[in-house]
Amino acid sequence: MRNNWLLYFTGFVQVIAEGTGSERMLNDCTRLGIVTINVKRLENGAISFFIRLKDVQALRKVVRKHECKCTFHQRIGFPFLLKKSWRNFGFVIGIVLFIAITFLLSNMIWHIEIKGASPKTEHLIQKELDKIGIKRGTFQFLTSSNQTVQNRLMSQIDDITWIGVKLKGTTYSLEVAEKKKEQKSKVEGPRHLVAAKEAVIAKMYVEKGQPLVDVHDFVRKGQILVSGVVGEGDKIRKVAADGEILGETWYISTVEVPLQTTFQLFSGKSVTKHFLSFRSFSLPIWGMFRNDESEYPQYAVERDERPLKFLKWDLPVNYKKETIRETETFHRKYSVDEAKRQAIAAGKNDLIRKLGKDVKIVGEKVLHEDVENGKVRLKIHFQVIENIVKIKRVQGD
Amino acid sequence: MGKKWHQRIKSILTEGLQIPADVMMDLPRVTMIGTLHIYIENHKGLLSFTDKEIRVLLQQGQMLIKGSDFVMKAILPEELLVEGKIEQVLYIDQ
Repeated sequence: MRNNWLLYFTGFVQVIAEGTGSERMLNDCTRLGIVTINVKRLENGAISFFIRLKDVQALRKVVRKHECKCTFHQRIGFPFLLKKSWRNFGFVIGIVLFIAITFLLSNMIWHIEIKGASPKTEHLIQKELDKIGIKRGTFQFLTSSNQTVQNRLMSQIDDITWIGVKLKGTTYSLEVAEKKKEQKSKVEGPRHLVAAKEAVIAKMYVEKGQPLVDVHDFVRKGQILVSGVVGEGDKIRKVAADGEILGETWYISTVEVPLQTTFQLFSGKSVTKHFLSFRSFSLPIWGMFRNDESEYPQYAVERDERPLKFLKWDLPVNYKKETIRETETFHRKYSVDEAKRQAIAAGKNDLIRKLGKDVKIVGEKVLHEDVENGKVRLKIHFQVIENIVKIKRVQGD
Repeated sequence: MGKKWHQRIKSILTEGLQIPADVMMDLPRVTMIGTLHIYIENHKGLLSFTDKEIRVLLQQGQMLIKGSDFVMKAILPEELLVEGKIEQVLYIDQ
């Protein structure tokens, strides 16, 4: 019939009515809509009953018209509990502070762990992390995402080939794979220098050994350039040939450049907004009054969402950061000549990336070109001067 | 005279159209659960109340409930729920 637990929330009070005419008073109460619960006759003739907290004022008015006297006794329910806890104010503050501090501390970085790096690299990584703002005591949700940190570390520090970034509880864990320093393929003892690829010798500088070819000679792959066998007849000696031989080699590459390209560029204007999100609902906490993205004719939104933690649990509440950047569309148009120039430059860059920085491109020739579907396609022949030396052990040693 | 005529119409309606009597004729509806609970709807007020005896005013007459350990769980404008050990329920016509 009635929900007593609902009553518990609104709160109720015990009333003890003494004197005559208590039944009439009860009737009056009911007529005015005051619900009386658990009406009991006590041994001394008084009656005890409970009323809702909100009916107390109405009851006072009713009592004035009757001869019986009412006193309030037990107070039960949530409002009274609240009042009681208000009296123990310090205690409540303590609990709230405790939860708040635990929450804050659970969301901090307490330890940065770098695994698999030499002390030198570790120091470099530490310095780089400091620059990004990742150190002991920063909030996890304010740091940039793991992916960004990973990319940045990998691009900034040369000595690492790969780095894994992971957040384990309050520990920032970095796993590093260091580059093995390329050890010079030192072949001890007698050795030849041979050609690594087909080339025309451009320059020779022989420190030790017997040169078998000369400048402008054409050499095939594997051909001995400088022999480790010196001398004639019975004065033959075996030495470790050493020297630098540069050869002219050829590469053919095909490059395509579109005549018209459309880019999206960032204009540099951006707005950052911060939210607390729960499932699909997000509550803006900062930056909501900044000029809206609607002011930008074109924009790109970058979202970064992090779970908030309490001790070791992820709360269902996330911290969300939205960066809205204005974008501009940029059309680039090349004439055929310009496109050709761009293609040649791109081809050169490609080649240098492939062969390393110490090669020199001495000439290029366009072998074939055509314009098709708005694209310029070039077949280019590059002449490159590079080191063609390869070391080979002298046989029969 | 007029009242009697009114009553007769009501009786005819109740019998002829099979409308429940408590709705039509303002009679109390009393529900008892064993001897533990008694639930009275359509009462007109409480006359006296002790833990052994309860007197309730009805539209016509009174109702007297006898027993022991009576507690009124709730008093609402038209409803009354009594808990205890019920021994007798009496109608007193006036």
